[in-house]
Order: sequence, then structure tokens, then C-alpha cells
Amino acid sequence: MTNRLRVLRAERAWSQAELASRLAVSRQTVNAIETGKYDPSLPLAFAISELFGQPIEAIFSPNGDPRA
Amino acid sequence: MLCKPNRFTWHLLGWALLSATLALVGALLKRESLASGGLRWVVALLPVLPMVGYFLSLTRWVRSLDEMQRLIQFEALLIQFAITALSVMGYGVLAETGAVPNPPVGDLWPGIWLLLFLSWSLGQAIVRRRYR
Repeated sequence: MTNRLRVLRAERAWSQAELASRLAVSRQTVNAIETGKYDPSLPLAFAISELFGQPIEAIFSPNGDPRA
Repeated sequence: MLCKPNRFTWHLLGWALLSATLALVGALLKRESLASGGLRWVVALLPVLPMVGYFLSLTRWVRSLDEMQRLIQFEALLIQFAITALSVMGYGVLAETGAVPNPPVGDLWPGIWLLLFLSWSLGQAIVRRRYR
């Protein structure tokens, strides 16, 4: 699964630690999601979707780049 | 990777130290033959009581973790379980054959605790590498 989390975070000039704080997860978890080493659960994916104001499918894609 | 100490670290350390202290007190009382009858049972079991607090604190710590950290701990505990179970089983079988000393269980448990913590740390180091 791929995602646009790093891009969305960069657009808002947030650090990984700041995003982690907003999502109530650890910075390591944000890093692992961004690098594709960990796929978040559905509740966390919804939290990310809500935080960035975009639908889940615009952030996450089962393969290739997700399109808004 | 070492975790920064937080309140759970101090809780766990406190419970472990209390248990170790009570174990030492129990050993002293036993050596001096100061505990007898029913009191002997109480003194022997005293170090176990703080471990209840230890595991309750451990449970609270795991519940405070996010989903990925919980997954890491779960996989680390599987590694710990495998290493400890195989080591204890292997040693037990060898002890039965006389290949290695067969000390009483009471002499073995400090070593088993050490093995539990070392294998848990090793498990965390292995699993964390995958998500780094």
C-alpha cells in the first residue's frame, strides 16, 4: 500500500513529531506509515483522512500513487 | 533502540525493586530461621505480591501504546516466549539426562527472569528494525 502522508505533511510544514501528536501516535509510527513499512488500521486511516480533510482513497492506495 | 524512561518505566522499576527487596528479606528470615509455620508461607510469597503490581503496570503501559507499538511488543513477546520456552525445555531435558546440573527450581528462577528480560529486549530490537 502506498500513501501521500509525507506530501500532505510537507504541505502543512508539520514535523513527524507534530503530526504524531495530532494523531495521538508515536513519531516512529508516522515514519513507518510514510515509508510504507506499516499500514495503519482503518480507525487510524480515518483519523488521518479527517485531519487532512481528504477521503481515505485520496491518501492511501492499494498499489501505485493515490489520486485525489 | 532504547525507549525514553516515562512514568511506566519508574512504576515497573519500583515494583521489581520492591519484589527483590522482599525476596532478600525473606532469604534473611529463612537463614536466621525467624519464620516458621504459616508465617513461612507468607514470607515466601511476599516477593510475588509486588509482581502483581508489576504486571498491572505492564498492562497499563501496553494499553497506552499506539497500534504499531503494540504490534511491536506483541511480536517481541512472541520471540521472548519462544526463546524462553525452548531454553527452559532444552535445559530441563539435558538436566534429566544428567548432562547439566539439575538445581532446585528456586535456584533457577533468577536466571529465568533474566532470560525473560533479555529475550524481550532482543525481540524488541529485532522487530523495531523492520519498522525503522
